[in-house]
Amino acid sequence: MEMASPTLLDVSRWQFVITIVFHMTFPAITVGLSVFLTVVYGLHLRTGKAVYLQIFRFWKRIFAVGFGLGVVSGTVITFELGLNWGRFASATGPILGPIIGMEVVTAFFVEAAFIGVMLYGDGRVKPRTMLLSCGMVALGTVLSTLWILAANSWMQTPAGYRRDHGRFVPDNWWSIIFNPSFSLRFPHMLLAVIISAALFVGGIAAYYLVRRRHDQFARRTFSIALGVLALLIPVQFFYGDKVSFMDADYQLPKFAAFEGDWDSTNTGYNLVVIPDQPHQRNRLQISVPKMGSVISGDLSGHTPLPGQHQIPRDRQPNSWSVFWGFRVMFYAATVMLFAAVTSVVLRLRGRLFVARWFHRLMLWLTPLGVVAIIGGWVTAETGRQPYLVYGMLRTDQGVSLVASPTVLASFFSFLVLYLALFGTWIAYVVRTVRRGPDPRDLETGPPGSTSDADVVGAMEA
Amino acid sequence: MAVTIWFCLVLVICLGMYVVLDGYDLGVGMLTLTERDVITRRQLIEVVATAWDGNETWLILFGVTLFGGLPIAYGAALPALYVPIVVMLLALVFRGAAIERVSSTVGVPRGWGLAFGVGSLIAAFAQGVTIGGALSGIAVTNGQFSGGAFDFITSYALLTGVTTVAMYGAAGAAYIHLKTTGALRARAASLGRLLTLATGVLTLACAALLVPLTPVRIGAAGRATTVLAVIAAIAALAVLAASLWAFGRRPDKRPMMAIVAAEAFGLVALALLYYPTVLPPSLTVDQAKAPAGTLNVLMIGLILSLPVLLFFSWYAHRVFRGKYREAPATAVPAGSGRVASTAAYSPSQPRRHRSQRPRTLRWAANLMWIVAGTLIAAVSVGVFAKTPTGEVITLVALVLIVIGGSAVWLRDELRHADAE
Repeated sequence: MEMASPTLLDVSRWQFVITIVFHMTFPAITVGLSVFLTVVYGLHLRTGKAVYLQIFRFWKRIFAVGFGLGVVSGTVITFELGLNWGRFASATGPILGPIIGMEVVTAFFVEAAFIGVMLYGDGRVKPRTMLLSCGMVALGTVLSTLWILAANSWMQTPAGYRRDHGRFVPDNWWSIIFNPSFSLRFPHMLLAVIISAALFVGGIAAYYLVRRRHDQFARRTFSIALGVLALLIPVQFFYGDKVSFMDADYQLPKFAAFEGDWDSTNTGYNLVVIPDQPHQRNRLQISVPKMGSVISGDLSGHTPLPGQHQIPRDRQPNSWSVFWGFRVMFYAATVMLFAAVTSVVLRLRGRLFVARWFHRLMLWLTPLGVVAIIGGWVTAETGRQPYLVYGMLRTDQGVSLVASPTVLASFFSFLVLYLALFGTWIAYVVRTVRRGPDPRDLETGPPGSTSDADVVGAMEA
Repeated sequence: MAVTIWFCLVLVICLGMYVVLDGYDLGVGMLTLTERDVITRRQLIEVVATAWDGNETWLILFGVTLFGGLPIAYGAALPALYVPIVVMLLALVFRGAAIERVSSTVGVPRGWGLAFGVGSLIAAFAQGVTIGGALSGIAVTNGQFSGGAFDFITSYALLTGVTTVAMYGAAGAAYIHLKTTGALRARAASLGRLLTLATGVLTLACAALLVPLTPVRIGAAGRATTVLAVIAAIAALAVLAASLWAFGRRPDKRPMMAIVAAEAFGLVALALLYYPTVLPPSLTVDQAKAPAGTLNVLMIGLILSLPVLLFFSWYAHRVFRGKYREAPATAVPAGSGRVASTAAYSPSQPRRHRSQRPRTLRWAANLMWIVAGTLIAAVSVGVFAKTPTGEVITLVALVLIVIGGSAVWLRDELRHADAE
């Protein structure tokens, strides 16, 4: 097989990195946000309270732009699989094509059909149609998460296939979709996106609490966000732990890299490591004694964690990105757990809406969920290297043989466009938040009191 | 063999739906460039804002179906058409962002309005060039692309690019004709006639130059198919001519219907001439297709879901049927400028403590609970789950934590709901 030049491989990988990271920042928020919007719209219909409508309309504005950016940047990814990874696409198309196809038909189309009603139907269609549309969009985003995790998990722990002239041919669709890592990685990711949306929503509510603006809006939003956080983050710790120890069974190189040891003698848990991969050692290593053994289930503290010396050099992933990706995720999650427990204690004390130091803290934590998700994916994807399909198809065998200058040009185009779009997205969120929810929404009556039939009639005319 | 033909049919349906739906969408986008009035521009953007996402999803479905069903073609064609496809994607990103950005504010921020128009124009041109580049032939050796990055630049590709722009423009004008009234509708009618005429002439040029300029072998699938293709092509031109007449006359939906029919007939004609080639000059469906296991699954999934997808696309347009109207005043996003909060700040009643403990002690107690809670939660869900008994302990701990958490939350939620 023809070998790709190192530059081509690097540029193709970097282009994938920026396009996928940019894309991921949107679903990381919008999946959870769509569920949140459905819940508050449902609460509005049930209780008839205007504040829930105000919450719905405010968050809908941020959701709309985030969702749109997620859709267009996702389209790029679909085509990049062929553009930059054509040999990978030819080899894995028979397996990944139908899975992503299912994502398109069961998720993208459902979202697309109802997103218009959800975003522009307020006041134009019946409230029940609105609720249905919100629910369908939320369902679509969750299904999308499911299929894409099925596809990625198959690349991590391939199963149910055979090789035929280098191509992957499906043998058993059940084992392809329910491959060994899917049942853990899907809930892990679903929890992650809901938690990061909770932090995002809670952080912005905290901003209004700090500024003492839109009090009623801020309290309801803050309460819901922290309630969700307190419920889900312990469950996330459970799944996170499961996923990481699954790697010990299926992808030892990744596991060894994110635990950050070289020789297999350390029973401690590494907090900070500066790896020196060329010399196969750590330049700096700070660890908690015996903790590594404890987390792997030996409470006596005598079991060491496996080290990277066990892995041949040409199969080691980059220890920097794998270790620090994991640590960023893990430390962020610990801070979230701290915030969640604090919120429970403050709630019990009746001080959740008056503890201003806590509101300031939550404001700072607004982007933390997204940061943790990106850290986790950096671990998952760079930890799988040098393979695309773990153990089966190496990354340098999957890259398209496009001329390097062309890829370099497209890389910079994406970089510039995405930096600009990311900047305007942040500016848009900040501006929307500064402007705040519309106080006039609080004056609207309970749902159905305005004659919706007339509005619908007017549309039909 | 039968599966292959059905598969190609599905592929053509996906592409057709995309051309029909996103065609008008991109067309409306380009035509905003001819509008100077900000209010009209905004109207035009709102007209497509409700459906653009669904329209673009057909492109993703087309791409993914190609990826799954004809992986060799996907893996070879995309690197070959790298430049136009990347340009198209960048343009689509740009204009999609612009649509959502514009519809979430008041008025049309100038840069975003321009981004929408120019993005649509570039995307349409790049799509035409992509098709033309594919028709002009792609060098494939051993199932991999083996040509240069700029092989796609041929005079034929430029011609199809311009044709696509004209065709989408005509579709956009027809859609504006359908969705608006008054001066805007009248302007759309005259622009539409012009663009339809241009489309007709350019399409004839494309058809005439197909044989001299490209390696496509006409009639590879037999004489009957060729005859059918010619009939479809004549039908396409006939309905295109009909739309020339229908612009500016009632009912307003007629030009749109005629252009949709023309696009459909044209695509059918092209597909019939093309089959069984996937990538000219030589790659055929049978060489490029996925193994039977994949094709069958893909076909079952697609054939079951196609009616639903068509329903979804219909529904997204149906909800906002009729002429475009401003949304009722209550639903308009908050007006410009910063709006001060009407709700005055009122600190919640802190619960009275049974004993008025000193502040430092209260802090210490809180801190203790927070640290203890964090540690207990982290350790209990993480550490023990390595053995079957440990797993049970962990799950029980998890359930207790979740129940405790929800109890605290819901109690609080109810208390505040009563208070407000």
